[in-house]
Amino acid sequence: MSAGTQAAIQIVIGGLLQGSLFALVALGFALVFRMTGVINLSQGAFCVLGALLCWSLEETLHLPAPLAIPGSVLAALLLGLAIGRAVFVPALSRLPNSSMLMLTAGLLTFIQGLMLVHWGGDPYALRPLSGEAPVQVLGVRVPSQGFWIAATAVIVIAGFWYLFARTTLGKALQASAENPTAARLMGIDVERMAVMSFGLAATTGALGGIMVAPILAVQFDTSQFFTISGFISVAIGGMGSFVGAVVGGLVLGVAEQLAAGYISGLFSSGLALGLLLLTLLFRPSGLFAIGRARRSDVREELHIHPAIVRLRGRGAAALGVAALAVILVLPLIVRDPGLMGSLVITGILFIGVLGLDVLMGFAGQVSLGQGGFMAIGGYVAAILATNYGWPPLAGVAIGCAASLVCALLLSLATMRLRGHYLALATLAFGLVVDSLDVGMMATTGGPSGLVGIPSFSVGGLSFDTDRSMYYLVVAIIVVLVLALLGGMRGSFGRALMAIRADRLAAGALGINVARLKMAAFAISAVLASLAGSLYAFYFHYLSPEMVGTQRSFEMITMLVIGGEGTLVGPLLGVALLTLLPTLVQSLALYKILAEGLLLVLAFSFLPEGVFGGFARLAARLRAPAVTAGLEPRSEAP
Amino acid sequence: MTAPALEVKDLIKTFGGLRAVDAVSFEIVEGSLSALIGPNGSGKTTLFNLVTNLYRADAGEVRLFGQEMVGAGDWRIAAAGVVRTFQTARAFPGMTALENVMAGAHRHVGTPTWRQMLWLAGAREEERALARQAEALLDLVGLAEFRDTAATDLPMGAQKLLEVVRALMARPRLLLLDEPAAGLNDGETAELALLLRAVRDSGVTLLVVEHNMSLVMGVADEVIVLDAGAVIARGRPAEIQRDPRVIEAYIGQAGGPH
Repeated sequence: MSAGTQAAIQIVIGGLLQGSLFALVALGFALVFRMTGVINLSQGAFCVLGALLCWSLEETLHLPAPLAIPGSVLAALLLGLAIGRAVFVPALSRLPNSSMLMLTAGLLTFIQGLMLVHWGGDPYALRPLSGEAPVQVLGVRVPSQGFWIAATAVIVIAGFWYLFARTTLGKALQASAENPTAARLMGIDVERMAVMSFGLAATTGALGGIMVAPILAVQFDTSQFFTISGFISVAIGGMGSFVGAVVGGLVLGVAEQLAAGYISGLFSSGLALGLLLLTLLFRPSGLFAIGRARRSDVREELHIHPAIVRLRGRGAAALGVAALAVILVLPLIVRDPGLMGSLVITGILFIGVLGLDVLMGFAGQVSLGQGGFMAIGGYVAAILATNYGWPPLAGVAIGCAASLVCALLLSLATMRLRGHYLALATLAFGLVVDSLDVGMMATTGGPSGLVGIPSFSVGGLSFDTDRSMYYLVVAIIVVLVLALLGGMRGSFGRALMAIRADRLAAGALGINVARLKMAAFAISAVLASLAGSLYAFYFHYLSPEMVGTQRSFEMITMLVIGGEGTLVGPLLGVALLTLLPTLVQSLALYKILAEGLLLVLAFSFLPEGVFGGFARLAARLRAPAVTAGLEPRSEAP
Repeated sequence: MTAPALEVKDLIKTFGGLRAVDAVSFEIVEGSLSALIGPNGSGKTTLFNLVTNLYRADAGEVRLFGQEMVGAGDWRIAAAGVVRTFQTARAFPGMTALENVMAGAHRHVGTPTWRQMLWLAGAREEERALARQAEALLDLVGLAEFRDTAATDLPMGAQKLLEVVRALMARPRLLLLDEPAAGLNDGETAELALLLRAVRDSGVTLLVVEHNMSLVMGVADEVIVLDAGAVIARGRPAEIQRDPRVIEAYIGQAGGPH
């Protein structure tokens, strides 16, 4: 056998092993999606959690693997059931689909935060189940653990088949998925079935994580890798199809290994995104679409929508002027340089969150890749200014243009599709940008970051102190907020809100849904890019994790806590999450945990955000009986 | 001679083995108020969905003001002056009644977004004019006092009326209404009848799917009867009421015209 053939066999076997792992994660995705119609982004966190729990049982309690593995899987199942029961399923009937997606992003962040607090940020590897010695297959050496992964995948697939084809519980699950209303009438507890599916998905994920941990060391944020790989697998295979999940996982695994083996490891994540986009373009329902025909003239989402928050007129204007006055004198009062720095960062991040608000709060689209656009803006501007001596302003402009092009391409690819494909494409996009930041060592400085970035300057005017940067950022924000307020209170904003509410009814009125969604996405990308550039110039340094996927999730949390669709409200969220860790240094370790928890809590108890809560309170104090004489609408079944 | 507002020719749509619309042909004269009636499941809403391109026909032609618009997106249909409402009330949640109605005028807003963003005087003047128009329409259907109420907090009947005036804000040439009187009480239905006549008299062509026979017989110039996907009768309301095929189609089913 030639060396070339041998290498090819090696790659394919490696791909099938990796694919088995993806298939396990994807099965969990498919199950929850089938039962609830929600893409559960927290899926990947259960993989890592399972592996870390197993490590603790083995290393600290010295349990043998045959006890440690069932123990950790059981723990993951219990946690999955608890989260499903307490958070996920109750939210199904209260939140629109886009918010459900973000709620699961919050759960992902929350579980990651828990793991960071307990296990720290180090990678952990489990001991292989049958020793380190590789096994010879077809003349190539395969780690013996690979067989355990493949065997687990086969057993889980067989288990799924048995559950759905042979058991009453499976039939009840199936019925709840096909027609919840009818299932409910037949006496099936549909909510319980949804909780079960969430728990089962967690179990599947945990098994996958435990099996792969001897080969691939995992740490708290490996969760995102599992989530995105599992998701891309189901998207390729067909959302909600179990066969599709398995096939999609294997296809993705082999394709990634081929790309890594023959081109470069750097491209394997780019290839995953490419595969996803190709599937979305040419076969949007995936290879194994489960045909559930839906009537397109009936509104799909029967969930309650967020309350209307409008502060208008003289009172609102006066409040705005007062707030601006406070913001302007703040640097004269604040003496602590650390706090002053945090204020600047608050302002910079708020610019990015403003863009997100246009996209999410008004147009109802979710972007999980805001950090990716920050990275483009940051790196492009910083590299042009640092390595090529360009004026910073030109760097900012080129960065914004690059982000704009990426945003338009992404939205063109996903625009025609229903559901939240744009959101998921943005997540994949963010992760690709992440891996490029890390991988392109020569230009970006790799994981250790880009150093020596100059201060921002325009002409001879240099913004090299905290205070000057602060006033620059405030000036930009004032201009942006005024412009966006103007746009959002006019026909542009109304059309975006109409699209968020009911895209079909909006289209029937002559609103060009695709074009406006694209415009909103472009605005969000450009503002993120601007924020990223300013961030780099302010820190004189930029590293991948400053503008990574964790940042994207953080910005969503800031937006939701502050109040979606209010433009100024998110400032409260940004300030809270930026200033608190500065004021209370000991909280730094708990930052991610707190962000996840706050996002979940906000969705559960204050869906209109802090600002919305204030506005509602103010409205109630002013006019206690606005809706007197009107029966509240009974909720649609 | 001007082209008819709507011309449907040999239109066929099947779902699985079921012919939901079976070689339907008719045309709607510009300026008329026509009603499309028929027992449940006779294909009325499917026909609407075919005309507005929500479904793709298996065969046949649809011409809107003489133009074929196969595969055109929904906003293009609206741009051609054809605006529809839906069977279930679809007021935009998260927006006030006034904002809902103003959103209907989207395709007529002349000011580009950047001028709105700069708060230019022209943009603000256009906004005020839109708001006045929307208020006048709300007033017409008795909803003026609820202008700042969340649209989805309104009773179902009010939401249906709101949807009709929102469609009117889009200044259609052809207005397609899918069961506008469903969920309306008698008073609201009477108000709707007045509104429909006024709209017709202003020169807008209307095609209304409706189950409420007294409304149909009271306002329609012409009635088209569908049964099992095919047109079984068309004519003036008085003729239709006497038509034996129509009576059979309804009596043969449970109930009959109410």
